[in-house]
Order: sequence, then C-alpha cells, then structure tokens
Amino acid sequence: MGMLELIDISKIYGSVNALRNIGLTVDQGEWLAIMGPSGSGKTTLMNIVGCMDKPSQGAVILDGVNISKESAKNLTAIRRDKIGLIFQQFHLISYLTALENVMAAQYYHSMPDEGEALEALARVGLKDRAKHFPSQLSGGEQQRVCIARALINYPMLILADEPTGNLDEANEGIVLEILRKLHQDGSTIIVVTHDPEVAEQAQRTVVLEHGRIARIIRNTSPGPGAGPSL
Amino acid sequence: MKKQSFYVKMTVNSLIRRRSRMFVALLAVAIGATVLSGLITIYYDIPRQMGQEFRSYGANLILVSSGGESTLSAAGVESAKPYFPPASVVGIAPYRYEAVKINEQPFMAAGTDLEEAKKTSPYWLVNGRWPAGAGEALIGQEVADTIRLLPGSTFALTGTDADGAGFSRDFSVSGVLQTGGTEEAFIFMSLADLGEMAGDSGRIDIVECSVSASEASLNQIAAEITSHVPDITPRLVKRVTQSEGTVLAKLQSLVYLVTVVVLLLTMICVATTMMAVVAERRKEIGLKKALGAANSAIVREFLGEGLILGGLGGLLGVALGFVFAQTVSMNVFNRPITFQPFLIPATLAASVAVTGLACLLPVRNAANVDPAIVLRGE
Repeated sequence: MGMLELIDISKIYGSVNALRNIGLTVDQGEWLAIMGPSGSGKTTLMNIVGCMDKPSQGAVILDGVNISKESAKNLTAIRRDKIGLIFQQFHLISYLTALENVMAAQYYHSMPDEGEALEALARVGLKDRAKHFPSQLSGGEQQRVCIARALINYPMLILADEPTGNLDEANEGIVLEILRKLHQDGSTIIVVTHDPEVAEQAQRTVVLEHGRIARIIRNTSPGPGAGPSL
Repeated sequence: MKKQSFYVKMTVNSLIRRRSRMFVALLAVAIGATVLSGLITIYYDIPRQMGQEFRSYGANLILVSSGGESTLSAAGVESAKPYFPPASVVGIAPYRYEAVKINEQPFMAAGTDLEEAKKTSPYWLVNGRWPAGAGEALIGQEVADTIRLLPGSTFALTGTDADGAGFSRDFSVSGVLQTGGTEEAFIFMSLADLGEMAGDSGRIDIVECSVSASEASLNQIAAEITSHVPDITPRLVKRVTQSEGTVLAKLQSLVYLVTVVVLLLTMICVATTMMAVVAERRKEIGLKKALGAANSAIVREFLGEGLILGGLGGLLGVALGFVFAQTVSMNVFNRPITFQPFLIPATLAASVAVTGLACLLPVRNAANVDPAIVLRGE
C-alpha cells in the first residue's frame, strides 16, 4: 500500500466534472509530477490531496487514513501535521520577516522555535536573509523561504504548485536543487507543473486531460539525485 | 519563543506594517471614543454646570419659622447650616423686614447679609453699587421713582422700634436695584443697621438659600433640617427646583441619545473598516489556514488586532474626549469641566467592547475563508 492512494475519485462542481475516476498511488519517498493543460483538474487534485477539498466520489487514503470523509476541522489538523505546501506565488506574510514566516508554520503546528527555523532557512541557503521582509527578497529567495516554511514541521508529503512558475532560470535551478536534496533525504514530493524540465526531475509524471489521467510517464533518467527510478 | 509571544508579535506587526489601513480604523475608534468620553464627561457635569446656571435665578430653598413663632433667631439659622453640604452652598441670605417711612410715605426695609444676598440673587441689577458700610442702603427702582432718589442721594428713614419708640436715621443711596419683581419696592440695608434702628437684633423673618443640588438632594437637606431643627421649616422653591430638574433630565436624555448614536456609528465604522481589512487579507487568511491554522486561531488574531485598536483608540479617546468636553464647557457654560477619573476605565472598556462587537462579523467572515484560494491564485 502506498503512502497516498487515490481510489477512483471524482469531483463534480454543478454540471462540471473537474476530476473523473482518478486512481493513483504514491509511494513513500517518491517524487511525482502532475502535468496537464489549464482546466485539466491539476489544482482540484492538489486541493484534494492537500486536504483543502473533498472528492465528490471515491476515497483518498493518506498514511492509512481515509481523509475523504473527514470534517473540515480534522482536515486542517491533517494538513498541519502531514503536508508541506509550496506555492507558485510564494504567499509569504508581508508583515513578517523570512524567519517569522517560517516560525508562523511552527506556531500553527506546535511551538515556534527560532533555532529550528533558522536551520530550515540555512538548508535553503537563506540564513543571512532571515531578518528581511518578503518585499526585501527576490522571487527566488521568497520561494526558498516558502520551501523552508513547508519543511519546518517535517511533513510526510510535500505538495508543490508550480514551484518554479514565477522564477527565472537561475532561481529555477536553485529551487530544483533544493527539491532534489529533499527527495534524496527521503521526502515524498508531488509537483504540479507546466514545465517539462521540472517534470523530468520526477520519477513519474501523471498527465491529466479533461479531469482524467491521460497517461503516466515513468522518467527513465530523472534529474541528478532524483533517486532510483521505479 | 513562546506561542503567546509569537501571537503578540504577529498581531502587533500586522498593525504596524499596514499603518495606513489601520490608521483609518484607529481614527474611527479614537473619534468614537473621544465623542463618547467627551459626552459622558458633559453628561456627568451637566447637573453641576447647569446647577450653577440655575443658581442665577435665585434661591431654591427657604427657611421659615415653624409653628407659632413668626420669626427665626440667628442662633436657630446657624444650627440649620451644618445640614447644607458646604461644597453645594452658593449663598444663605437671612432677611428681616420692617415697615419704615421716608417723607411720611410707607415703605418696607429689608435687612440682610448683603454679601450673601449678592450670591443668592445674582440676577439683581444694581445701578450704582452695593452698600459697603453702615448708613448705606440699596433702594428698589420703585422706591427711587417715588421719592426721586439717585445713587449718592441721602434720605431719612423713620419708624417705630421694638419697644414702640420712634427712630429716625439718615442713609445714603449706594445704588438703585432693578429686578423686575417685588424687590424694587424694598430698601435693602445690612442686618446690623436695621437691628440698630428697630431693635430686637438677631431677629430674622426668612432665610433664602441658594444650593447647587438636585431636587432630590434638596428634599433630603430639608428632611434633615426638619428632623434636627424643629424651630425651622425648610421649603423648596418648587418653580425653580422642578423646572431645573426637568431641564436637566431633558438635557441628560439628549446627551445619552447622542452617545448611543455615536457608539452605533463607531461600531458601523469599525465593522466596515475591519470588513475591508478581512477582504484585503483573504489570501493571507487562506494561507494561514492552508498552513494548518484552526478557525479559532484566525479569530484570535483578528480579534486581537481589533482589541488593540479598541484599546489604543480608547486611550486616545480619554485624552481627546477631555479636551473636547473642556472646549464645549468653556464655550457653552464658560466654566472649566471636572475630569472624571472613572472615565479612563469606562472609555477603554466601552471602546474595546464596541470594537470587539464590530469585529464579530468580519472575524466570522475571516474564519470562513477557503484555504484553497492560495492554490487557485486568486
């Protein structure tokens, strides 16, 4: 049994079928990419896996627990404890420093720990920018803070929504390198992306079209450090 | 860092780093608190201020003799004085009346404590000046017209003393009194001058008291005098005390109504601002919820911000409210206002409570924000 199992899930908004009969298993330590054109259901799938939405049909088993029937309150707790989120638009809190943004995730999870938050910033190479506010950081630096925040509570699953979508080539390389290291350290990563180069770093790429899985590509040569191929 | 310290840091930073928006909210709370604290100050000071104004209309309590005796004694009046709260007494003027003649024409002479009479009858208009010493008299306009006297003129006052012997004494007119009332038919002089001429010094017919107090307080003073000084009967001057009570009650009701309206307006203003704040920060709220913030944590943060605004606005309101009340008082009553220390906690509490109430709806909206908006890129 995988760490995450999607069993025949569908999501219907009124007359629109955003997702149709999706079945997918993600193993512990796997790096999975989800690709697809706009409106293919990528974000809906991320919302469901990220415990921010529930499927209309089917079951989502995360770490052995069927989360598709959980209440909003329990989903918040599961998201807090088991999932780290990385966003395309970084979504840092503007009135908190980089360090405090990382500590905010600790605050909602358990207890803010400045030392640990500094360590997380050091892992993404931003220890010296800890006291800077988001407006004083470049896009790449903001994304690295976002990654540090996603990692701080040791989540079992990292969900990244277009993590390099707003970055230039140099910063894209830095962020992908960080994700590779995380994967090497055993993190399970799901990345939603439009960028084939990013998808190539993953071990598998799921391509969605019209709410269905159109195909699954097993990358034979994932990026350096992407781990053994399946 | 403790969880509480981080909460405080986050809340304070959120206010400080979004100054312009929060300044508008703070301004709304501060203006509300200013008007509230100012109006409450005026509300509590109106009886004092208006009481002083009403004292311009003359005595509101008189003391007369009880039972068979038709006159009072100076000693009896002295024994009644301790029942008046010293701070409220504007003046206590004893009067003694004697029938006298000038050029064989009959008049009524009134002996009084002239300094106290000045206080109990501030509305008296004196053409000339008040009597300054023995042998000087203040004559009513009617008397002056009858015998054609002017300030500085002299006249001889004749009559019969307590023993039935005749007396005659010269007086000079220090001033002519205009009141528009019966006082214009009297000749006013000091009690000592009248006692010296007519004998029976120490005799008093009536005492006019001007007390800055409500009708209820006056009734209480009267009851105490009645029970402790049986020779004296206190009587309230109903036309003064009742109209004073009515005007005060109406003024206080008006201020009370305005205060309630101001509170409501403040609440609406703060609620609107906080709703705008919540709308502006939907993404931030969504992010916090995506990070695992429970609804209660979001509610705590927004309420915390609201309450800090309420507290700061309340503090500003206390200070500015006093300035506001002082300005109103100086312009309307021409008297400084008394600071009410209880207004500090009261304004703070009201300001925090109103802000808290105003935040309820916006905070509920904040708690309902869908965390998925951070992935939709709205």
